[in-house]
Amino acid sequence: MRSFLLRRTGAALIVIFLASVVVFLGLQALPGSPALTLAGEDRSPQAIAEIVKKFGLDDPLPVQYFNWLGHALQGDFGVSHRTGLSVGETIMDRIPITLELAVLSIIVALVLGIPAGVISAYKRGSLPDHASGLLALVGLSIPHFWLGLLLILLFAVRLRVLPASGYVPFTEDPIENLRRMAMPAFVLGTGVSAVVMRQMRSSMLDSLTADYVRTARAKGLSERSVIVGHAMRNSMLTVVTVVGLEFGALISGAVITEQIFVIPGFGRLTIEAVNQRDYALIQGVVFVAAVGYVVVNLLVDVTYSYLNPRIRVSGGSV
Amino acid sequence: MTTAEAVLSPRARQRRRMRRRLLRRPLAVAGLVVALMFVLMALFAPLIAPYSPGKSDFSAALSGPSSQHLFGTDDLGRDIFSRVVWSARASMQAGVFATLLAMAVAVPIGLVAGYYRGWIDPVISRITDVVLAFPFLIIAVGLAAILGPSLKNATIALGIAAMPILVRVTRGETLALREEDYVKAAVANGASDFVILGRHILPNMTGTLLVQATVWIPRSIIGEALLSFLGLGVQPPTPSWGVMLSAAQPFIDQAPRLVIFPGLAIFLATLSFNLLGDGLRDILDPKTRA
Repeated sequence: MRSFLLRRTGAALIVIFLASVVVFLGLQALPGSPALTLAGEDRSPQAIAEIVKKFGLDDPLPVQYFNWLGHALQGDFGVSHRTGLSVGETIMDRIPITLELAVLSIIVALVLGIPAGVISAYKRGSLPDHASGLLALVGLSIPHFWLGLLLILLFAVRLRVLPASGYVPFTEDPIENLRRMAMPAFVLGTGVSAVVMRQMRSSMLDSLTADYVRTARAKGLSERSVIVGHAMRNSMLTVVTVVGLEFGALISGAVITEQIFVIPGFGRLTIEAVNQRDYALIQGVVFVAAVGYVVVNLLVDVTYSYLNPRIRVSGGSV
Repeated sequence: MTTAEAVLSPRARQRRRMRRRLLRRPLAVAGLVVALMFVLMALFAPLIAPYSPGKSDFSAALSGPSSQHLFGTDDLGRDIFSRVVWSARASMQAGVFATLLAMAVAVPIGLVAGYYRGWIDPVISRITDVVLAFPFLIIAVGLAAILGPSLKNATIALGIAAMPILVRVTRGETLALREEDYVKAAVANGASDFVILGRHILPNMTGTLLVQATVWIPRSIIGEALLSFLGLGVQPPTPSWGVMLSAAQPFIDQAPRLVIFPGLAIFLATLSFNLLGDGLRDILDPKTRA
């Protein structure tokens, strides 16, 4: 277990390191010079030369890179030239909002996806099976942002039961917070729920024919405890993995969902940064997204191997 | 067996069997028909659309569906139906070309990684891991920021985002195929690596690659709509479903159809490719067929 942990963590660190190089070089490729942007109104050669010197913009690239990395590892991504605020703090302010959205979406996905998957597998070929299969396909094909607009149209414009957009902190007013998060969480959750449902169905189909399920039935356990206690329990393993792997999709989804519902989270920050050509902020946002994704994948791997000892012993060589 | 069948090569016979199996799946056939319809719509947009997509008639702005304007008009009095038809161009272009670009780069890399193994395989795998570490939309948004917003750049961004997974799929398939007897036979006969990869391995993964195409075309279609919606793809006044949706937002309470029709087009286009892909996967993968 220990060597497995070390190997996976090592691989994750390499990926993060390479990702940091990509982020750093990517920014060098952006059009426009940072010195000019930082100079703002005063574009005299002296002012620009001063900025170049102050920020070490004439240092060789590797030096600039390690300077940047050294600060980045301490959570210091510099200062946004637009707002004058620390990039690290700005990101940290926005992340909890997106995390709440992600957690709520995953709850929506599990609540919709798991029962649908279990029922489809248990009643394979029945009407509910076909119906949820079709719904999953619709969930995968429907563009999230369009679904979001349709929900706004229905619940905010027509029925007037939910606010169309905006955000209220949970600590300020929990009920209002959830009312405003309901539509975005549903929009983000449906796509994931389709994946969960399909995964649950296929792994339940495997478990239902497995020997241990036959044994459980043979020893006279109730159907309910065979399904819930034996078959489902094992299928949950793969669902954990699938939900973890969907984390990247959730970040991508948050970008557009937060844009539509005007939620000031990490996703909206990404778009703001790009639209305003806020270099330090773009760098920080992209790097944090990549690190978050790699860390979540690592956690998923570790959880999975913890739950499934077979991986620990034989696998992991990939 | 009739003589006509006897002279067919094994591969042609298999193709024929696949075609027959596909035709037995009504959903997959429906997907194929609708997908083709969208492709034709893109190709023949000038013939199908009654108006030019940019022609505005301010006296008829925001009017409802009528015999002149099938889907009504937008805030500038432009015919929504014509704009939906013309938008198929941007969408199909992004969907097909992003997928082709991704395949053109990823398939050779995956073949090399899977066939030669050695030091090159882990190097390629780590590089794909790094690209995978960036969530898809973050790559696309970042690249659009670097390259500047346009349909071409959005297509390139979508293609790059699709590459790592395609590399993995191709690599995995190559690993499996190189153990096949016919590959070993070719090696024993002294065939060059190029011939083995091009003649024996690549043709045997066309099924898998076809399924992958039906996965990435709809994803890129949604991706293009998304980027255009965010202002990072197709630029107005060129019509695109994403551009239309973005422009429709302020009018959502007055003219919901401005939101409904372009979105419905994206939905149907992606659904059709997904249905086709599901059908292809079922007939190609014996495991799910059982």
